Amino acid sequence: MRRLWIAAPGVLAFAVLTASMCVKIRAQVPSPATPPAPAPAAQVAAKPPADAFKDDVHAKAGLTCESCHGAKKADGGYATLARTAIAPLCAKCHADAAYMRKFAPQVRVDQFAQYQTSVHGKQMAKGETRVATCSDCHQSHGIVPVRDTRSPVAPAHVATTCAKCHADPVRMNPFNRSPDIFSEWSQSVHAEALLKRGDNSAPTCSTCHGSHGATPPGAESVANVCAQCHVREAELFKKSKKADLFASMGQGDCLVCHSNHHIEPPKSSWIGLDDKALCATCHDEKMPGAAVIKNVRKGFDDLQGRMAEATEVLDRAETAGMLVEDGKLALHNATEAHVRMRVLVHTFASPPFDEVLKEGLTSADLANSTGVGAMAELQYRRRGLAVATLVILGFLATLFIKIRKLPA
Amino acid sequence: MKSWLRERLPVAEVEAAIAHKTVPQHRYSVWYYLGGMTLFFFLVQVATGILLLLYYRPSSGEAYDSVQFIMTRVPFGWLVRSIHSWSANLMVGAAFAHMFTVIFMKAYRRPREVTWLSGVLLLFLALGFGFTGYLLPWNELSYFATRVGTDIAGVVPYVGDFMIRFLRGGPDISGATLTRFYGFHVAVLPAITTALLALHLLMVQYHGMSVPPSIEARAAREKKPVPTMPFAPHFALRDLFGWTIALALLAGLAAYLPWELGHKADPFASAPAGIQPEWYFLWTFQALKYMPAHILGIEGELVAIGVMTLGALGLVFLPFLDRNTSRSRAIVSWAAVAALAFMTLMTVLALTGGQS
Amino acid sequence: MATEAPSKAAPEPGRRSVLNWLLGTWSAGVVGAIAFPILRYLVPPEIPEATTVSVKGGAASTLAPNTARIVPFGSTPALVVRTAAGELRAFNATCTHLACTVQYRTDLEHIWCACHNGHYDLNGKNIAGPPPRPLTEYDAHVQGDEIVIARKA
Repeated sequence: MRRLWIAAPGVLAFAVLTASMCVKIRAQVPSPATPPAPAPAAQVAAKPPADAFKDDVHAKAGLTCESCHGAKKADGGYATLARTAIAPLCAKCHADAAYMRKFAPQVRVDQFAQYQTSVHGKQMAKGETRVATCSDCHQSHGIVPVRDTRSPVAPAHVATTCAKCHADPVRMNPFNRSPDIFSEWSQSVHAEALLKRGDNSAPTCSTCHGSHGATPPGAESVANVCAQCHVREAELFKKSKKADLFASMGQGDCLVCHSNHHIEPPKSSWIGLDDKALCATCHDEKMPGAAVIKNVRKGFDDLQGRMAEATEVLDRAETAGMLVEDGKLALHNATEAHVRMRVLVHTFASPPFDEVLKEGLTSADLANSTGVGAMAELQYRRRGLAVATLVILGFLATLFIKIRKLPA
Repeated sequence: MKSWLRERLPVAEVEAAIAHKTVPQHRYSVWYYLGGMTLFFFLVQVATGILLLLYYRPSSGEAYDSVQFIMTRVPFGWLVRSIHSWSANLMVGAAFAHMFTVIFMKAYRRPREVTWLSGVLLLFLALGFGFTGYLLPWNELSYFATRVGTDIAGVVPYVGDFMIRFLRGGPDISGATLTRFYGFHVAVLPAITTALLALHLLMVQYHGMSVPPSIEARAAREKKPVPTMPFAPHFALRDLFGWTIALALLAGLAAYLPWELGHKADPFASAPAGIQPEWYFLWTFQALKYMPAHILGIEGELVAIGVMTLGALGLVFLPFLDRNTSRSRAIVSWAAVAALAFMTLMTVLALTGGQS
Repeated sequence: MATEAPSKAAPEPGRRSVLNWLLGTWSAGVVGAIAFPILRYLVPPEIPEATTVSVKGGAASTLAPNTARIVPFGSTPALVVRTAAGELRAFNATCTHLACTVQYRTDLEHIWCACHNGHYDLNGKNIAGPPPRPLTEYDAHVQGDEIVIARKA
């Protein structure tokens, strides 16, 4: 029996040691590397035309090589189409409503007409072939519908397709166009929404410039273009003092503060009279509007500060297992108020902004106090435990003495 | 008052029995407390369990929310629930410890075979309580742990599929499983446990506390009886001392290491990484992971289950397997050490991120 | 212990009863510390339901046709609409695009999100703009003059 009690701990220790060694050895053996994430859906790879055509939507409609290229040549190949001839050729069917109705009753037939109003179309009509035509964006032989995620003009791919030319300095320099636009757009909130979050409603090149009628919007229409989605901001802006002011300066409304391609998430530090602020580009202390600017900036800073406090305390409370439903609702309301405040910036005036600011601050304070209350409840629990433990310890001490004093 | 009761109930007999009960005192008698400790944790489970079922809702749509309700809105609900979860683990731990000390002290020898049998069955019941109770909060972890656990039942040939359907109330884990597990947890298992526990405790009183062979041998050699201590009040007050410490420990754990709630179970989500059963099942879980796919043509998992079943049967019939010679007893002790070492090793490996 | 016995064979009654009294008091304390939480636990809390299953949506008589109101539903806002035809509808007012709170447009006679010009019809279906999914619909019915909104079963 005695040997057992000596040996057993030894065996147990051996077991634990073996276990830890197994762990160490395993740690040295590299675990299989996680396979790299699959590459995003690439455009249809360059395949020989005959192969690529098998997937083509035209092939499914019964068209053949001869339909576009004409009869086979003597050497067995087909005639290459002149670049200026491509769009008119496509239009022979795609601009014919009666014909297209047979295949897709709802499809539009104004693409060629739009193309002719575009910069690309106008240049091509003048004989300049270094601009885009139908096959440059839609490809020629493996054409799939726009909705197909393999299509080079599916929403997620439009920008890269445009970038094939518009990001290439060699192609852009002869036309004096900047090749930086694609990289600028790629850093914008819209690109992040489209490409990272998969939000197909986010604007890409064609959303603002048009697809077939691709032309940069003029300064007077920028606000209208942004207003497609940003309705409220555009409404408020048009009613504000800035609308006429910018129009008279020939400035493109929204662009002045938000830029056109490299649209960043707006920060409250843009508002102010200090060097880094956007308002300071034109405004200074002496100009009218200085008070409004300072007021708006202070409002944002206050609310953001209180919301940050509230978020921190609510997080702590929730991690500790406390109920914070009401606090989260209040924080949600404060966030709503913050969003409305950002929209109201476009009035460039104080009154409507101040009202919403007050609501926001009230909600943030409520969120904060809920979180603080939850932490207090936690302290109350621990204090309650401390009291109970003291009582138990007192009992244990007395019991111990009683046990010792028992007659043997 | 007391005389009124004395006339109608066998109070005098019970008092006499308690007054006569003695507990042997020797170098190993500290381990005698473990049985009572397991009982204490069980009583805590009964009390907190009854309190919980006043607010808990056993339907897949409401279970999680009702537990969250208990944790956040019911006064001291957090305390009751955390104590219930902690005490479950401590009860299983105490039960295992109690069993191992009984093995090492050979308390299963004749005439205590029935006590041993009922005890082993009680251990299995405790594991059953743990397994069924774990699903009841209907959170991610418990849903997938139950799925993995019941999957193992399917490995058994012929009856495997039936067993899965019986356990799950259907082919997959669903609301039917929850209702079934709830029924087991609050009705079936408690009923069986009450009967077996009554038997176990009665048998302990009837046969008295067992004395390890080495102490008996020494007493015989020195011709001196084994010293004893009266149960009441000496041992009982010490028992109470231990129980009070356990109570304080439970309250402290509930306040400083509250039991997590996790996320609501989503059957259509893929299993999150690191699904593990409760710690007392970890060793089987880990051991199964190490089995090769096939051994001598039989599925590896099936072999493992077979071995574990044999082990369980060996445990049940231990008093009959041990011939009560010193060699036989030594074999049992070493086998127990080996088993304990294996279980510890497997548990440690599982906790330190064992391989899948 | 055996050696102590002779001198403590009969502890003075005073000491023993002080000890017993102390023990009794402390035990009462422990019992109280256990009983107090249990008794408090047994009393049902103010809000008897677990999650928000239903909320009141304000008076039915003050909700005119072609108007709506926002009420809190647990931790999210809910939109209660009385259509131009007089029917009651209720939805989770969180836009499915980027979680702004939607509103009812009396001019458009349907639901609109100001953040990015998303439109929903009176069944909650997303009909224009960025929202990718319909709004979650709630059950709305009237009890007396009170509108009650509940999660759909």
